Amino acid sequence: MTSPILTLKDLSIDFPTPGGLVHAVKQLSLEIDPGRRVGFIGESGSGKTTTALAIMRMLAAPGKVASGEIRLGHDKTDVLALSEEDMRKARLGRVSYIPQGAMNSLNPIMRVENQMWDGIVAHEGKTDLAELQRRSDAALESVGLAAHVGRLYPHELSGGMKQRVCIALGVILTPELIIADEPTSALDVVTQKHVMQTLTRVQEDIGCGLILIGHDMGLMAQSVDELAVLKDGELVEHGDTRQIIENPQHPYTQDLISSVPLVGGPSFLSPAVSAPASQKEGPDPLLQFRDVSKRYGDVTALHPMSFALDGDVPQIISIVGQSGSGKSTMGSLMLGFNPPSSGEVLYEGKNLATLGAAQGLEFRKNVQAVFQDPYACFNPFYRVDHALKFPFKRFGLSQGDDHTQQAMEDACEAVGLDPNLILRRYPHQLSGGQRQRLIVARALMLSPKLLIADEPVSMVDASLRATILKNIYDLKDKHGISILYITHDLATAYHVSDYVIVLYQGRIAEAGPPKQVIGDPQHPYTQLLIDSIPWPDVNRPWGTVTGDADSQLKQLQDHPTMFRGVIDGFSLSTAA
Amino acid sequence: MGRIPPQYLINRLITLLLTVWIAATLIWIIPRLSPVDPAEIMLGRMAAGAGTVENADQILQSLRARFGLDDPLLVQYLKYIRNVVTFDFGLSTASFPTPVSHLIARALPWTLGLMIISVTITFFIGNALGALMVWERSPKLVRVAIPVAMIFTSIPPILSGLLLMYFLSAKMRLFPLTGSYGLTVEPGWTWSFAQSVMYHGFLPALSIVVVTFGFWALGMRGLMITVQGEDYTKLAEAKGLRPRYILYKYMIRNAILPQITAFALKIGLLVAGQILVERIFAYNGMGKLIYDAILDQDFPVIQGASYIIILMTALSVFLVDLIYPLIDPRIKHER
Repeated sequence: MTSPILTLKDLSIDFPTPGGLVHAVKQLSLEIDPGRRVGFIGESGSGKTTTALAIMRMLAAPGKVASGEIRLGHDKTDVLALSEEDMRKARLGRVSYIPQGAMNSLNPIMRVENQMWDGIVAHEGKTDLAELQRRSDAALESVGLAAHVGRLYPHELSGGMKQRVCIALGVILTPELIIADEPTSALDVVTQKHVMQTLTRVQEDIGCGLILIGHDMGLMAQSVDELAVLKDGELVEHGDTRQIIENPQHPYTQDLISSVPLVGGPSFLSPAVSAPASQKEGPDPLLQFRDVSKRYGDVTALHPMSFALDGDVPQIISIVGQSGSGKSTMGSLMLGFNPPSSGEVLYEGKNLATLGAAQGLEFRKNVQAVFQDPYACFNPFYRVDHALKFPFKRFGLSQGDDHTQQAMEDACEAVGLDPNLILRRYPHQLSGGQRQRLIVARALMLSPKLLIADEPVSMVDASLRATILKNIYDLKDKHGISILYITHDLATAYHVSDYVIVLYQGRIAEAGPPKQVIGDPQHPYTQLLIDSIPWPDVNRPWGTVTGDADSQLKQLQDHPTMFRGVIDGFSLSTAA
Repeated sequence: MGRIPPQYLINRLITLLLTVWIAATLIWIIPRLSPVDPAEIMLGRMAAGAGTVENADQILQSLRARFGLDDPLLVQYLKYIRNVVTFDFGLSTASFPTPVSHLIARALPWTLGLMIISVTITFFIGNALGALMVWERSPKLVRVAIPVAMIFTSIPPILSGLLLMYFLSAKMRLFPLTGSYGLTVEPGWTWSFAQSVMYHGFLPALSIVVVTFGFWALGMRGLMITVQGEDYTKLAEAKGLRPRYILYKYMIRNAILPQITAFALKIGLLVAGQILVERIFAYNGMGKLIYDAILDQDFPVIQGASYIIILMTALSVFLVDLIYPLIDPRIKHER
């Protein structure tokens, strides 16, 4: 019987706030055995990061451990009783932390290897430079990075490389425990798979314990041995990963598992029986790209492509790709925020570049947008109803105050919000999910013909994603609005869309109806994307990757575009 | 790091020259929009001295001819540009016939000495204090510095100067009231002269430091708070680095970068000195020169001094452009 590497006993953490004491973590007890990987899963605010920071004794003020014990290692060191200096030495030396924000975790003005050396020197005192060099090179090599990466500055690395550097840092002093706080949440699926597998491999090599903090059940199923499900600071379920995923006991765990949309899985949507009338007028296509391309300096963000969305029948067209694929560039071209470098963007047959003032206003009313960040979309000075009211009046839709009020209430109800609770609030009083639904409601009030939704759910908690996507789907299904859905999430694209375009480095890799493109991908890039999705199913292993993600992706650049079937009312082509 | 590519240097130099040229042109245009005729002012000054002036019209004409005011504007402009390039700003109209360049050459070292010392001191004190205001391990006393810095920043330097003068000079007789050096010492490279200069410069410098350190301290505090929230600072703590090392290498080193840009812009402006501080301490620097020139409508001196200010600003920005990539690896010598 081995003794646990970490023991949490009745751990409670409080945050005194002006509104009273907030119990962030309540009576949490948990043991982690050496070599085991434990996943802390839960929504934001569930206390998973707070617990991790308490183990490091790095709780942000005024957070405090109210009661309980944290014991580290075989000798059961009482973490809470360590002196400042001993705690400093325990950090990295005995327990290391791999942070969430890979993009920003390294000091921008220091070379990568210097940031590994200062960690060693801080724990072992003055060390010979050649020895430091040897150890940093070895650590970088252990995460699959070349030694010369150490000589670079952080801004010269990709997001995946930075996260690997952080992993190399975390293992450089062979700790007893690694805490990885959502280490891949900023990375795309392909890189996520590489980084996660690197992390689990080095963890196995040094035989330490690992806490993986996250909210993605699929990623957990593929990465950890045990799951600890947290809700509102309480440990609601803890046990073997397989056992919890196959037979979840707590209703919250069941929710977490069932709320993950799966490719080919059951749909979370309930389409209406009768199709609504289209909003469209006139014979011209609603939106059309004519040989549109976009360059930024020497970089081609979007290679020439043409498409026509007729809009006779409302449809959802998904544009899928990794960051940097050109999908958001397409969105801003469609909204006329950005002029194309060549070609024309046409709205009902009229070139966006030459719209008059009145036509421009008409275009703005009829083409609405939902963006990624629901926090940045509201002016914090105004109450929510002002944000809804203003465009409604501005576009001349209001027939008096009562009518405006009625329209606001209807729109709120359409997205499942109670207008009495919501409308008189300030944006900061609402959750991210509520805000994003309000943005959808705001768009709905203007009865647009087209909605451009750019990553509308990537910043809201997993349990709310399905609800918001349902709201968006209803815009098409009940209100006859065509939608361009820009996303990196293949599973949701599979469920909501009528047609899918997979973009890779500004080129169309594969396009067609979702059943073909995502259900049965033929293009190697689409296949790679689908293979990289972690399934919340322990019987469906992730597979192992060889080589590194960057070179794997480079080979795909020149593969020809694959068109996989057509649908009525939408045509797509690349320029000859 | 590494060497500076020649193309980058050339482009920066072109920008520098363009800036100076445009500014010099503006300096030339603006006084010409004013309805004041400098020749008439000089005549007025003569009249004030002598009571009446014979042949007023003739004198006016000869003055205009002497200063080239009769030439077509374009000729005046081209002459001006030629002169400016050679630092020839003509003759002062107030202290006729001293060349403006002599007046500036006499005043500039005093101001540069006073201002470089006081601004450098405030830069270091202010930034160090601002950094310590944020650092969690600072002594509690440092937190008191926040309101103090705010109060001192809102005091005009003329008031701080007068107060210091009143208490330290008039009451306690620790420092001389006015002047740049003692009347009994001979100017020159001697130790006694240097002592006298420092002794006289102390109060003006202190009155500037007292009211300007808050600007840097509060600015630095804001930057430090941002850096404190950065992920790399958190990771530095999680790496078990020593707190002082984190403060210096991770926090101050990053937070100071925008302050250095601000410092470069200040360096240019400080040539003008703290006009009023120099005035009340009767310190013979650029500030006093500009102050007197404005009172006397002494166009050539105003032009010359403004030109020097712009040249200094452009030069310091140019220098910062060159050094910045050495202190921030994210910035490259490009284009």
